[in-house]
Amino acid sequence: MADERDLILGRVKKALAGLPTRAALPDYHGDLAVMRSRIAGRDLAELFAEQLANFTGVTFTDAAELAAHLRTKGWLRGYCDPALWPGLAPHFGAGFTVSTEFDRTRVDDYDFGITRAAGAVAETGTIILADRSTSRRLGALAPWTHVAVVRRSEIFADLAQAVAAMGDDPNIIWCTGPSSTADVEGILIRGVHGPGAQIALIV
Amino acid sequence: MLNSERPPLTGKRVQLMATCLCDAFHDDVAVATVQVLEHLGCAVDFPEAQTCCGQPAFNGGDWPASRKVLRHTVRTFAGSDPVIVPSGSCAAMLFHGAELEFEHEADLPAVAALGRRTWELADYIVNGLKVSAWPGRYPARVAFHRSCHTRGTLSGESVRTLLKSVAGLELVEFGEGEQCCGFGGTFSVAFPHISSAMGDLKLDFIRASKPDVLASADMSCLMHLGGLAAREGAPIKTVHFVQILRDALVNGGLLAA
Amino acid sequence: MATQPIDRFATRLAPETQAAVYNGTKIGHEKRTKMLFDHYADPNQLRRLAGEIKQHVVENLDTYLPAVEARLQANGVKVHWAATAESACNAVLEIMQARGATKMVKAKTMVSEEIELGEFLEARGIEALETDLGEFIVQIDHDHPSHIVKPIIHKNRRQIATSFEQHGLGAYNEEPTVITARARQWMRPKYLGADVALTGANFVSVESGRLVLVTNEGNSRFCLAATKCHIALVGIEKLLPRDRDLALLLNLLGRSGTAQQLTVYTEFITGPKAAGQPDGPEEMHVIFVDNGRTDVLASSCRDILRCIRCGACLNVCPVYRQASGHAYRSVYPGPVGAVLSPLLMGERFPEKADLAKASSLCGACNEVCPVNIPIPDLLLRLRDKAKTEHVHSPGTPPMGAWAILATQPAAWKAALFGGKLIDYLPTKLLPIPPLRAWENTRTIPSWRGGEFRKWLKRRRRKQT
Repeated sequence: MADERDLILGRVKKALAGLPTRAALPDYHGDLAVMRSRIAGRDLAELFAEQLANFTGVTFTDAAELAAHLRTKGWLRGYCDPALWPGLAPHFGAGFTVSTEFDRTRVDDYDFGITRAAGAVAETGTIILADRSTSRRLGALAPWTHVAVVRRSEIFADLAQAVAAMGDDPNIIWCTGPSSTADVEGILIRGVHGPGAQIALIV
Repeated sequence: MLNSERPPLTGKRVQLMATCLCDAFHDDVAVATVQVLEHLGCAVDFPEAQTCCGQPAFNGGDWPASRKVLRHTVRTFAGSDPVIVPSGSCAAMLFHGAELEFEHEADLPAVAALGRRTWELADYIVNGLKVSAWPGRYPARVAFHRSCHTRGTLSGESVRTLLKSVAGLELVEFGEGEQCCGFGGTFSVAFPHISSAMGDLKLDFIRASKPDVLASADMSCLMHLGGLAAREGAPIKTVHFVQILRDALVNGGLLAA
Repeated sequence: MATQPIDRFATRLAPETQAAVYNGTKIGHEKRTKMLFDHYADPNQLRRLAGEIKQHVVENLDTYLPAVEARLQANGVKVHWAATAESACNAVLEIMQARGATKMVKAKTMVSEEIELGEFLEARGIEALETDLGEFIVQIDHDHPSHIVKPIIHKNRRQIATSFEQHGLGAYNEEPTVITARARQWMRPKYLGADVALTGANFVSVESGRLVLVTNEGNSRFCLAATKCHIALVGIEKLLPRDRDLALLLNLLGRSGTAQQLTVYTEFITGPKAAGQPDGPEEMHVIFVDNGRTDVLASSCRDILRCIRCGACLNVCPVYRQASGHAYRSVYPGPVGAVLSPLLMGERFPEKADLAKASSLCGACNEVCPVNIPIPDLLLRLRDKAKTEHVHSPGTPPMGAWAILATQPAAWKAALFGGKLIDYLPTKLLPIPPLRAWENTRTIPSWRGGEFRKWLKRRRRKQT
């Protein structure tokens, strides 16, 4: 296999050897692709909620309202990050069955999964998940409804800022609305292999 | 812009490249070009030895044959006067295609120099001579097909500027205006089904806007679309935009018929 | 006169397929254009910049490839190199065999189609299940994708419903919501029962070693949440220099390909799962695949390696929408495929040289390309290459006689006057094949050769 490596790198070198000069890496302002007019003067949490709503996402700032919403939808069985549950439990009350353990042999028994977000992006209505702050990948992914708990102070204005702040978490996911497909005749359907409903709780 | 490096204009002596298509099928387009340029005060020289810009062989992949023809063209158009051509695709051949074709040739500088002094006609009128209002009258609904080889140049906008300024002329829009008509040089005969399907689709969109006349900066596109329409029994009147400009002058009493 | 294979394919295309492709591409293109111009004052400036960044990468792969390898290894990723399709398939097999793995779930990756991994693994008793809905449907149908982003753009709901019924996914139901729900239910146990996840990568940042995966369905997330081993197949050209370049390219990719600011999920992966995370791969492998890319790199068409696989060029191409993707006989169809596919064939270039002819050179592809690839110029270079290598090209008239006429003014003028014959002779007697071919579908205007020159002469006489 070291042969394959040498073979490929040798071919690459040979292929480029004849170039009189190599194209330079252009310098550019990191803000170039930011949608400035959308962001200017806006409260980031408000902008985030507005953008997320474009993708049928719903935002709450009050855990009781979140619980009421889940109850109205009939989503009563859930998984919750054990670190979050003590703070949320008082608002959930009777009727809910919430476990702080996720049983992967019963993925369809959870109507919702509540996990921590690592941030959000106002420009695009994006929720940022990271491995170190997501209690269970499956808990954020498999239930029909995902509730991401977002800290207000961790809402970035734009994607460039979100990229700059990425750090070394091995698995960062930008989630913009619920899972979707348009493979069948270009018709948009939400809720494919991931959640069909995306909720954010801003704390 | 594809052809942004143009030497500044000093005076109005120009050389006319009539194009092989106009030489063979559309003499009135070449005539109208001379009439319009002279109306603008240009002294027009027509180098008799001219033949073709070399594009058919270039597109077909026979670059050695194309280079032979282009070299003849470079010799024919010796000098430093601007070369004016009533065709977006021939102009693009000279200022863009030629550079590709001569990339490894010793005479690239001479070919590139010709390219830099080549102007598509509408571009020359609007951006060279700075004329953006056209006198006379041409009462008609005109659909303008922006030919693909004017992509990346100022020609399309220049034609629109001129046509919109003509009294009585109503420029009508039609759907999918940016889509290719399907000519594409040898493509039209090597891919006849797709080429005709593309042309028919475009004709549907054009007809929906009910123009009196279909104009373009390229006779190749018009021969293709006009030829399809005629063969299908629903002919459509096609003109080069320069014929509209010339006719507007005639209608306005500014040029003898 | 003979015609080209892609043209003949188009004549046989079923009307409902042609309609599906036309509608799918038209909407894709129109939405892309609207969004880019709504969101940005000058989207073309962004495209040109992104093009310069990718061209820089292509021309400096000799530096970037070893650099990204070192970074990935430092991140705990095992790096493999595969010069050919066969060695790439074997590399995957070896990783699986080392784990005793027999079940793979795959997210969408065109490289896996290129190397024909699915068939290779199936032949060796390994289940390799496509999880992207479109690719899943292609798989159960034993079909091929016809678009690099929308694999079943050529199918309608009735065809899909029939396939589902034939493959045990329930009684015939063509409702898209039902089709999707069935795929969701069916796939879940498969993810959870699989050993290995296979993905591609849209980008790899050399600076951080981050692999970027761009999806909508949640299938790649599920592959990587349910299994314990991640294998990523990555073409050697998929690199970006820095994380900050990701922001620019991601802003362009979604808008260009599917008129989305971002796809639903953008995953940034630097290695196996975090220490405290119960779900996800404990082991991660990246296989850098050549499979002809170094041939492309050595050619005069290396700019095509900038491609980020958005599909915008397919959506705007007037030829693609008439012929459909399968006409190109390749994993990569459309404008990008017309350049890439013949070159990836290496010495077998002649087998696909005709793809470069299937274009009117309209330039719409370059205009929508988020990395500003000058595709028509590259197609022209491939036509030159084909002619130089004496590849037979049906329908292209030989240019020798024309070149003689066009370099001999006296002969040219004689032809201008003599051409009047075409007005009198029936076309099928004309000794000019292109003229006869033209006349099959279009009228020819009357011959006016020499008239302009006569007019000029008359005027000169009058003036003197």
